[in-house]
Formats: sequence, C-alpha cells, structure tokens
Amino acid sequence: MLKDQIRNLKNEAIGEILEAKSPQELERIRASFLGRTGKINQLTKEIPKLSGEEKKNLGQLINETKKNIEEALLQLQNKLSEKKPLENRFDITAPGIKPPEGHLHLVTEAIREITSIFTSLGFHRARYPEVEWDWYAFEGLNMAENHPARDEWETFFIEDFESEKYGKGVLTPHTSSGQLREMEKYSPPIRMINIAKCYRRQSDMSHAPMFYQFEGLVIDKNINISHLKGTIDYFTKQYFGSDRKSRIRPFHFQFTEPSFEVDVTCLICHGKGCRTCKQGWMELGGSGMVHPNVLQNGGIDPDKYTGFAFGWGVERVMMMKYGIPDIRLLFDGDLRFLKQFF
Amino acid sequence: MIMNIQVSDSWLREFINTKATPKQIGEYLSLCSQSVERIIEDGKDYIYDIEITTNRPDCLSVYGIARELTAILPRFNIKAKLKEVPVVKIPKIHEGLPLEVKIAKSDLCPRFTALIYDNITIKSSPEFVRKRLNQSGIRALNNIIDISNYLMLELGQPMHTFDYDKILLHKMILRESKEGEEIITLDSQKRILKEGIMVIEDGEGRIIDLCGIMGAKNSETDENTKRVLLFVQTYNPMKIRRACQSLAFHTEAASRFEKGVDPEGVVPAMERATLLFKQWCGAKPAGKLFDIYPSPAEIKTVSVSGEKINQIMGIKIDLKEPQKILESLGFETKIKTGFIEAIVPHWRHNDINIPQDLIEEITRIYGYHNLPNVLPPLTSLNYQKDPTFEWEDKIKDCLKHWGFTETSSYSMVGKNLISSPQDHLKIINTLTDDLVYLRTSLVLSLLKVIAKNKTEGEIKIFEMANIYLPQKSQSLPDERMKLGIAVSGKKYYEIKGTIEALLKELGIDNYQFGPCNIYKYMMHNGEISVKGLPVGIIGEIDPGMLSEFQIKTPIIVCDIDLPDLLKFATKSKKYTPLSKYPPIIEDLSFTVPPQTYIGPIIEEIKKTDELIKSVELIDSYQNTRTLRITYQSERHNLTDDAIKIIREKIIEEMNSKHNLFLKKVKN
Repeated sequence: MLKDQIRNLKNEAIGEILEAKSPQELERIRASFLGRTGKINQLTKEIPKLSGEEKKNLGQLINETKKNIEEALLQLQNKLSEKKPLENRFDITAPGIKPPEGHLHLVTEAIREITSIFTSLGFHRARYPEVEWDWYAFEGLNMAENHPARDEWETFFIEDFESEKYGKGVLTPHTSSGQLREMEKYSPPIRMINIAKCYRRQSDMSHAPMFYQFEGLVIDKNINISHLKGTIDYFTKQYFGSDRKSRIRPFHFQFTEPSFEVDVTCLICHGKGCRTCKQGWMELGGSGMVHPNVLQNGGIDPDKYTGFAFGWGVERVMMMKYGIPDIRLLFDGDLRFLKQFF
Repeated sequence: MIMNIQVSDSWLREFINTKATPKQIGEYLSLCSQSVERIIEDGKDYIYDIEITTNRPDCLSVYGIARELTAILPRFNIKAKLKEVPVVKIPKIHEGLPLEVKIAKSDLCPRFTALIYDNITIKSSPEFVRKRLNQSGIRALNNIIDISNYLMLELGQPMHTFDYDKILLHKMILRESKEGEEIITLDSQKRILKEGIMVIEDGEGRIIDLCGIMGAKNSETDENTKRVLLFVQTYNPMKIRRACQSLAFHTEAASRFEKGVDPEGVVPAMERATLLFKQWCGAKPAGKLFDIYPSPAEIKTVSVSGEKINQIMGIKIDLKEPQKILESLGFETKIKTGFIEAIVPHWRHNDINIPQDLIEEITRIYGYHNLPNVLPPLTSLNYQKDPTFEWEDKIKDCLKHWGFTETSSYSMVGKNLISSPQDHLKIINTLTDDLVYLRTSLVLSLLKVIAKNKTEGEIKIFEMANIYLPQKSQSLPDERMKLGIAVSGKKYYEIKGTIEALLKELGIDNYQFGPCNIYKYMMHNGEISVKGLPVGIIGEIDPGMLSEFQIKTPIIVCDIDLPDLLKFATKSKKYTPLSKYPPIIEDLSFTVPPQTYIGPIIEEIKKTDELIKSVELIDSYQNTRTLRITYQSERHNLTDDAIKIIREKIIEEMNSKHNLFLKKVKN
C-alpha cells in the first residue's frame, strides 16, 4: 500500500520535473517533494508504524526514490542552464553531410547518351567482337587483301592467329566489322547501334590506341540517302544542341557507295570559320549507303534491300562537346581527372 | 592514303573560265566533290588546300579540279567553262638519237612513253613556275626537274628525266629486281632491293631508275646536261604499292601511281611537256616517240535505271536531269526505256563500275544538300530485348552511388604485368612495350591505376571491361565482360557488403561466399557463388604483388564474371503477405572455437525452424559472435514457451555440431 504510494509519488515528481521550463519551477518542485514538509517527508512519518522487516524495506525504497528525484532534478537543471536555443539551431549555411561520392567514366556517360538517342528511333544496341577476323574487318567489307584502302586503318595484328576460312586475326580497327555480324544474326529490317572498343596503331592528342566507336546500320526496303541525312541530323541536334546544323559531303569508303563525310557546324565559331575547324565545319565521321557487295556478303539481297551505315568515334563527339584536349587522358587512370565528372 | 594537294587560284583559272569567287569555289567543291580544308591568302592569290579521296586520282591535279568545277559551278548558277591545255604535237622523227627499250613483262607497265630532247639550256625556271611549285610545297630546282614536277601537279602525271648521255649504251630494260640489287636514289640513299621491284637497267646491269618511285643518282640531270630523256609512264599500281612497302619508302609520284594514273593522259602530258621544254629550255625533240601501249583501255559502259536512282536518292527526278549531270562530268550517255547507259570517261575508268557509282555521281552533283532530311520509317522490328546492357548500367550506377569511381584502361598490357605470356594473345606490331598482350584479368589494371594515384588517400575504383581468353586454334578468343573492384585499406566486410548489396539489386539471393585458394596474387581470398556455381572471387592482394606496384596500403579486390553472374539476375518480384502478428527478437551470444566460419552457421540456424525469419550477425568480438534472431508467425501470436523450445534446439545443435557455447541471451 505504502509502496504504491511512494511509486506514484516518484512518477508524479519525475513527470513534473520533465515538464519544467525554468530553474524557479524546479526549485518549487524540489520543495513540494523533498522539502521538510514535502510529500516524501509526510510519508516518512508513517514508517514508525510498521514492523521491523517492512520498516527496513520501506526506508530503502524512500531513500532510492529521493535519490531518483534528486538525479532527475540535477539532470534537468543542467539542461536548462545550457544555451539551448543555439544548440538546436539548423545552420542552413553549414556544409551538409553527403552520401558517398562516386563517378562514372565520361565514356560510359557518352555511350548512354548516344544509346538513348538512337534507341528512341528504334535502334537496338549491339556489341560485337573486339578481336576479329580479317573477313569481318576488311575483306567482307569490300577491301580485298592488299587493297590500298586498308592503309587508312592502322591495324594491330595478332601473333600466330589465323583462320583458314576468315583470314588473319586483328584487333578490330572499326565497329564496321559489326555490320556483317549483325546481318548474319538478323534479317531485315535491321536497326543496329553497335558500340564497342576499337584499336589502331596511333597515339596523339586526338588518337588513342584504344577507343570506342558507335556504328549505326539501317537495312530495309527502300532505305535512301534522305533517311541517312534525317537520322544524322536528328542525332546532331539531340547530342550537340538544336542550333547545330549537319551536312554530308562526298567521301570514299570501300564498304559504302555512295560514301559521305558528315560535318557539324563548329561548336566554337558557330560556323563562321576558325582555327579549330574547317571553314566553319567540324568533321564528325564517315557514313554511306551500304555497298551491294557488303549486303551480299552479309547474306542480304541487294536488289531487294538497301541500307545506310555510319561509324563515329565516341570520344571524338564527346571531346567536341566538352572540350577535352587529349583523348589519352580518358584511359590514363588519373583519378584527379576521372573525379571531375559526375 | 588520303592525299592533300595545294592548288593556287591563279593556276586553276588557267584552265577554267569563271566568275566564281575563291570562297564559292571552296564551298561548292567541298559540297559536291573534294573537301577544301582551307583557303590561304597569298598576296593577291589564294591557295586551296584540298583533300583528295583515294578513289579520285583524277582530281589530284590542277586540271582535274578545274574539270570537276565545270560540272559543279553551273549547278549554283555560276558559269564555268573548261579551257584547253596548251600543247604541241610531237613531230614524227625516224632518224633521231638512238634508244632501245625492252619491257620484260607487259603487265608491269600498261603504257610506256619516252622522248629525247636536245639543245637543253639548264637554268632557273620562270618566276611564276618557281612560285607555283613553292605554293604546292615543292622546291624549284632547275627548268628540267621543275617541268616534271610542274606537270605532275598540273595534269596529275608523274614523269622522270634522265641525262641521256649518262645512259651509256642508250638502252633501257624495264624488269623486276633480283634479291640484293642496289641503287643509290636521287636523295643519295643507298637502297638494297628485294626481289620483284620494278627497275630500269641500262643493259650493263646498272640500275638507273626505281620505277614510279624515284630515279637513280647515276643518271640524274645536272648543270651540264645537254640532252634529256623524258619518261612518262603508268605502272601496275599493286607493284608500286608492294615496292613501297618492301622498301619502306614513299614518294609523291609513288602515291599517285599507287592510286592509278590514266594511261590515256600519258600522250597529252608528253605533248604538254614538249611545249614547256621548248618554252623554258629552248629544247626540241631529237628522237622518235616511244609509245608502248599493248592493251589500250576498252570502252566501258555502265547502266542505271531511273527507278534505282529514285530509290537511292529518295526523291523522284526525271531521267533527263541525271543525264545532264553525267554529261557534264564527261560521260557519254543514252537514255533507253527507263534507264541511262553511260560510257565512262577515260579518267574515271577505274572507279566507275556499278550502278551505285553512277548514282553517286548524279547525287553529289545534284547536291546532297538539296535532299530532304527524313527519318527512316519504322516498318517492323524483330529484335528480342537483350537485358545485358541494362544490368551493366545498373551495376555501374549502384557502384557510383556507393562512392566508387569508374576507370577505363587499355585492353593490352605489358609483359611485366603478366606471369604466363603463353596464355595470352599477343600483338605482333605493337606501338609500345606496355601494349603487347591482351589482358586475361582486370585486377592488374586496377592495381596500375592505384599505383598511379598514390596521393589520392582512400581509393575505391571499379572497371567493367572485356578480358580475352584464348581458345583452340581457328577460334576467336572468349571475350568475357568482367567487373573488377578495388579498394584501399583492409575493408573486407565493406567490399563483401557491397557485393551482397549488388546481388540484391540484381535480384539474386541464393548466393554463398566461401573460402578458396585459386588466385595466386591474393591472400584471405574467397569465392562468390550463386546456386553453387562460381561467379567471382574476392580477396586481399598479396604483399609481394603490392610491392611490385610500390603500393603501401593493403588492397582488397573483387573480380566478377558478368556473363556467369547475369545468368541469375532477375527483375521478377515476389509478394509475401504481411504478418498481422508482431515478431519476437532476441540476441544470442555464443563463444566459438577458433577458425569457425560464421556464414554456414547462420544458414544452419535459419533452417532450425520455420518460425525463424532472419538471423543476422550483429557483433563480433574476439571469440564471441552475437546473432540476432527474429521469430515470427503468419498465423498467431508467439508465446515465450514456443520460442523457448526453438531457442533450446538452436543452442543444443550448435553445441553438438560446432562446439558453440551460449554466453548470453538478451531480449
């Protein structure tokens, strides 16, 4: 009975203490519970009425209760005397606590952007072998052995690696090797965007021995030059900005006929002509209507189907866009460079 | 190789009559034919720097460019007329200076001409000639040599001059070289020949010319030259190409012969030369004109239908329009029902072969810029979606957001980075010693990046790239996409946790991490497997390996095979009904014997009873492991008694099977 009363008193006291807003209020609570005429002392007066064992237990309980109340008072006293308003202030200007910071490689970002532009036109992404046979890289693309056109591709050859059927093994110097692979795998209509690593024996500011290309290939009935132009123009406007113009002009590749070079208006001088461009235009890369021999090599009837193709450097378009001066920075593994981009 | 030529505006206008400005010429030539990369002002003159594509050797000359412009400029409403090339007819001389010519094999040289000139006065060429040569990047030397260079630029026909009196027997034998023969070329270099290179011998075994590439020092013209033998030929392009490759030596003349020079242009060039010899050197022909031309080019006809033209251009045009265009380019044409038949002009003999070639001619002159931009219509698509790319992107995104930086390094590595070169594909013609072997692992590339970034502090990187595993002969290597992760510091559990989180993102839950010992550069390594099939490894790089890279911090790496892993990736989601009854959670602390693997123990405890929903390791201290057990039923509230039975079963089994002792229960 008394025990319950003491417990209730304790809870009552602590409840009031926690509600207290000022030291004065705390002082008042202390007096009402622990003061000489306080509620605890009132109860103490009941002790002599009890038996020996109960006396001892109750005494202990009262002492504990007093101690608990004292502790609670002290705790809140400390809390009230601290400079409370400052401690809880949200300083909007202080640095935030950030989640971990990571970085994707610039080439990954560029590939994603390019992929999404072409998939929005119904292209499907492909990736074909980097180590490839001569047939796919050259001969099947209308460049017979020893054809002078091959000189344009500074090709890496692999030691003791040759197929009786497909010729020598090379590191593919362009994604065009994926054209025949795609034709072997699918029948028209074909809409491929093949993005893969390519390799050439070159190393300077704008050439790395390893780089990425993206190759578009569209084959269907009645595919014509205006479709190539439309696709290229869509890409350049999406990727470089809607104020860019594109043009095609005559060029030569063995695997396309007619062949074109694709230009975009210079990003620096906006087409007026400057030191970095050629008369206001920047070269994007090659393209053309798929040569009938190539269609035939891919098992597609050139009388029934026509197609266009283009193959450009991922790094090249990206460097044009972001103004990165040296392609080799991309593969150099310098984290100070890689961490610049998000 | 693609060649650039420099043509001055004033020289060009010697062959074309037009009011087009240099800017217009530059722009329209680029749009319809060859690319004018720059127009350089040179006093009152302009120089066009023009890139000539390999299929158009007919454009590698001032005259060739003028000829193109006469077809192009009128399309832009600018009049243009081609002028005739001033020449003199070569007189027929029967009793002249002697010369004997023999050609060993007729396929070496489709057309061979030679003519002797007498009465030469060697001096400087006229000023305008010196200037034009200079504008085209060729040094003027004397009037004789300058004529051959001038005409190479003007007409695209390389030629060579010999001092007639230095060919002692007046004999010339064109043949293939024998292994080990020698020649000192005009640039004073001694060249030792392999077999099969075209040369001219003077009948005494002395080689006086490296055909189509460069003449010999022993027969060159000099200030005392009185009589000159002028040589104008075309050569078998493949022979020239092989000769240049075998000698590792290229000249401008060779580049032109390699692309093919028009045999029909040989005699006009000779006639033009004869005029210049007269005008600049006061010389005249002094012997008969040798013209050996065993099989003149046949007339070549190519046809194309109007339907095909429209199909490729994407617009409808009347056949008369393409006819007009082809005529302007020098084709002779006839319109038959529905198609055009065109006789190819001799200067285009090699590059016009199929209907598409004619369509290219028609369309480029019509103007690619005059065609509309149209997106190709989507008729149907048969592609099955390949989720690989999506998964790869997802993995990269996760790692990026978890604080990793993506790196990309070359697929080729140096010998110093691999231990068994015989298991790698090797590049024969490498560029540098660090790009020789195709890598079979990403781990060493990651270490290379770490070594490069010693000042970076904490490093967390990953690379996703192919490795190349050689297969049996006649097969391409197995190109496998790998994910390599590396972090500095002994962060085993963080890396393992990263992989576990990644597996979760890929919808894979049935995985195990187990100890293994397959990778030699690693210690404390473990294998990651899904449904019992290995998909990757994780471990710490061996200190010996680290010291080779001079890396001082411990490195934990993870190497995952994506094709193996992604077989298990899934987007399917399963709904589990939410329990209406609260779980009971308690923590059991056990003391474990040394070398105990906790993973299998957790798995085992999970299987003790179906009411156990999860078992987590929440604390590990010395030989104590604290496991948090969650019990829950979908059907009713759990009682203390029910839990007690399960708990005792766990304790009993752990004790009897693994020698674990319960230390404490906390709930």
